[in-house]
Amino acid sequence: MSRAFWTIFRKEFGDVFRSRYFLVLCAALIVVMTLSLVISALDFHTRLSDYQRYVQALKQAGGTTQEAPPQLSPLQQLRGSFEYLEIIGAILAIVIGYGMIAKEKYRGTLRLLFSRPIGLLDVAAGKLAALALVWLSVLALLSLAILVTLYFVGGAVLSVSEIAKLGLSMGDAWVYLMFWSALALGLASFTRQPSTALLISFVIWLSVVLIIPQIGDTMDPDNQVPGGLFQTLQVDKAHQHAVLEHFSFYESTRNALEETSISKHFERASFAFLGVKEMYDRQPLAYIWSGTWKDTVWPLAGAWLGTAFALSQCNKRNLLGRKSK
Amino acid sequence: MVSDYVIRTKNLSKQYGSKRGLENVSLTISAGEIFGLLGHNGAGKTTAVSIITTLLRPSSGTAEVCGCDILRDGREVRRRIGYLPENVEFYDALTLRENLLYFARLSMLSDPGKRIAEVLEFLDFTGHEEDKLGTFSKGMRQRAGIAQAILHRPTVLFLDEPTSGLDPQGVITLRRSIKRLNEYLGMTVFMNTHSLAEVTKTCTSIGILRDGELLYQDSLERTIQAFPQHASLEDIYLDIDAGGR
Repeated sequence: MSRAFWTIFRKEFGDVFRSRYFLVLCAALIVVMTLSLVISALDFHTRLSDYQRYVQALKQAGGTTQEAPPQLSPLQQLRGSFEYLEIIGAILAIVIGYGMIAKEKYRGTLRLLFSRPIGLLDVAAGKLAALALVWLSVLALLSLAILVTLYFVGGAVLSVSEIAKLGLSMGDAWVYLMFWSALALGLASFTRQPSTALLISFVIWLSVVLIIPQIGDTMDPDNQVPGGLFQTLQVDKAHQHAVLEHFSFYESTRNALEETSISKHFERASFAFLGVKEMYDRQPLAYIWSGTWKDTVWPLAGAWLGTAFALSQCNKRNLLGRKSK
Repeated sequence: MVSDYVIRTKNLSKQYGSKRGLENVSLTISAGEIFGLLGHNGAGKTTAVSIITTLLRPSSGTAEVCGCDILRDGREVRRRIGYLPENVEFYDALTLRENLLYFARLSMLSDPGKRIAEVLEFLDFTGHEEDKLGTFSKGMRQRAGIAQAILHRPTVLFLDEPTSGLDPQGVITLRRSIKRLNEYLGMTVFMNTHSLAEVTKTCTSIGILRDGELLYQDSLERTIQAFPQHASLEDIYLDIDAGGR
């Protein structure tokens, strides 16, 4: 890597953390995610207390219970937090990626920058590398906040395996956020007016993060009744599969639709690692990976494409030739 | 063959869609000159500078700076030039020193701190190193712009409308800086301007552009001698621009 690359990388990384907007948005994301975890942990405590009161009352009445106590899986409490990361994190990623180009376009510093003897890809690569480190830092901070909250509010100390699963979920989050940032950076370089890039990014965000997953959820037969159709009808898993086999085309179509959304892949992969998806709860990593590797590979491919797009667009020809009027 | 031409363009043209930006511009500028490119707004002056500084690709034609082709050796060209755009913009949240350090590092300087101190001393611009650029006046920005442009000791300095928007004191200070760079450091200066007064006081040679075409190029001294009937450069310019020569 050239010296120009490192110079741009260091400046961009510093600029992000100097930005008040970024700090406020990032703090808001961390607070929202931590609050969600706290609420989830408190909710679990309530369920556990209810169960203990129920057992106590049964004992006093001379009875016994066959019902198992609620199982504490600390990582499962992160469901809400990761949903926030999926939705709000993507917005933050778009804003930061867009801002890296927009600030230079609006300020008019690009001519000075490109008048220096820098390489063809130094600007794009330096900015993308800075974004990668920004997200790594933010997610490291988030992981720390999660561990501290789980310990102090949930009283949970994570095992090595759980820490590995949290780490893999954060890895998926890093890839997912890089996709959004790279896409916004590429679009801001490609369009004449940076605001057009912001608009296009949000239209994509709306489709990928909200509309497609919502259509998929609405089409899911199990979501037709609150609490789950099969659970309400008291149909066990084996029968569920038997019933769904009669609707294989419908189910394949629904799945194919969901698979066009990178957010859905991120959600599936992270929920599997966190054990939110029951079939993966407390399962070995190899088992989870064998069932969900595609959900990691798709976001990886998306982030790679986003990065390639940004590298191809963030160049002198686009940035100076298509400057905003 | 060693040439004393620092800049040479041959049939340089630029089309913006159906609009002509530059048409077959061929000019040569020798080492040590202060060249003033004159023309109305929209004559193609900024396009010419943008192409020669490798910021813009020509539609056709070639150009060399210090013997390096602008298309084949763009990076080498940029190593040899300093550039001050019209309305120079910096990173306002950074201090003057931080801004200059950034551009010095992009210019691959080995000891940027020392060089920044030398340049600011040369431009008589010390005492503002820790001030943020956002607090600078237009004149101070121009001087900061000159500082960033000469950090790496370029052979040629390109200035795009350097006195535009400056107050009289700012113009005088900038003019003094340009002359000192030329006299003491031997820098060739290529200046875009529509200020005839500025050309008279600063430049050693001139070129006149009209609608993308180079109408005239010669030394200032010879130009004045060639038009004895005109009392000022302004009259000569108007004569040439009207197609009198």
